[in-house]
Amino acid sequence: MSVALSRLWRPVPPRRPPTAADFFWQADRLRRAGHYTDAAQLVKRGLRLDPTSITGHLLAAYLHAARRTVEPARHEFQWVLVRDPSHPRALLGLARLALETGDLDGGRETLHRALRAFPDFPEARALLDALETPAPAAAPARLDRLRMPGGALGLLALGGDGTVLAASPDDVADVAGTLCRTVSLAAAALRRAGLGTLRRGVVDSGAASHFFRSDGGLILAVWLPRGTSNTQGLLEVNRLWAAAQHELTVTNDRAAAAVVPVPARRGP
Amino acid sequence: MSLLRMGLELDGSSRGRQVRDIVHGLRSVAGARGALLVAPDGFVIAAEAPPSVALDPLAALAATLGRDLEVGAARLGRGAFQTAVFSADDGALFLSTTRIGFVVLLAEPQANIATIRAALEEAVTLIDSGWAPSATAT
Repeated sequence: MSVALSRLWRPVPPRRPPTAADFFWQADRLRRAGHYTDAAQLVKRGLRLDPTSITGHLLAAYLHAARRTVEPARHEFQWVLVRDPSHPRALLGLARLALETGDLDGGRETLHRALRAFPDFPEARALLDALETPAPAAAPARLDRLRMPGGALGLLALGGDGTVLAASPDDVADVAGTLCRTVSLAAAALRRAGLGTLRRGVVDSGAASHFFRSDGGLILAVWLPRGTSNTQGLLEVNRLWAAAQHELTVTNDRAAAAVVPVPARRGP
Repeated sequence: MSLLRMGLELDGSSRGRQVRDIVHGLRSVAGARGALLVAPDGFVIAAEAPPSVALDPLAALAATLGRDLEVGAARLGRGAFQTAVFSADDGALFLSTTRIGFVVLLAEPQANIATIRAALEEAVTLIDSGWAPSATAT
């Protein structure tokens, strides 16, 4: 009996203390389930055991980015890039943080760096494609007759290259870059999802909704109080769209009429 | 296996199942073509999308767009970003923010916007309550 029991009840082998790799492995599992805070604590413990682990610092960067803490994430991505200057994931992470803070040139440059090192890098390619800006129009028209609808909080019309054509109130022009980027990222996401060309959008935030329409050559957005129905908001943006198109046509016709025809030269 | 490891694995796997269930629920809404939950760093937490859709580039774009909308809304001072709908010729993309990332729903052109918005709101509530700081394991 005692022999049989001893066979069943083997002494438990001494437990191996967890290594840095164990902590990182567990942290990654938690990260994959959206459990960022606990994952970050495990990464910290892992980095105490192996402070120079690229995996650990990369995980720390991801977790900061996932918790929307930009500066610590940037610091960790940069730490990785000092040790491995062409690390694709660190480059992508850094590029995304640059975009988040409005540094478009920095973001593009970092994405180019990632693609030079790894030409077949779909995420970097997708982001770079989305950030391509059309060449500026030769003589951008102003939409001086476009009026903000009653009750609206703001109105912004942009050319396809981001040139401000109309802004009301004036300080709405400060978000022209953001609107332009939103439209190009959304257009790229729709294309990647196989849903075709972007036409309209509605963005809801705490106190306002903004409704926009775009055709690649013109982006028109109107901010309305939160609670405005989609139907009402889209009606407003469609009405403004028609007015803007009419004004652009009139302006272009006048510009064409103003060109003095050059008399044909006589032959010798 | 240490108790810590076992506990974390159990917790991690049940949470993983929970997010997969939420994404599956969204995918099952009438008019939905696919659904994803993407972390703010662009990592795909869970996805059910047509095989023709390359998930990683779409997730990178959706996370960048989501963060852009969050930061832009804060800059405008008109409250925190909540939900966006982008319509195209062949369908629409819905994007909602949650505590752990962005819920993305791809919809057919004929999908009922109100039904999808309601399903998204429910998913956001489930995620935000399930992943509230007090609900996380320590």
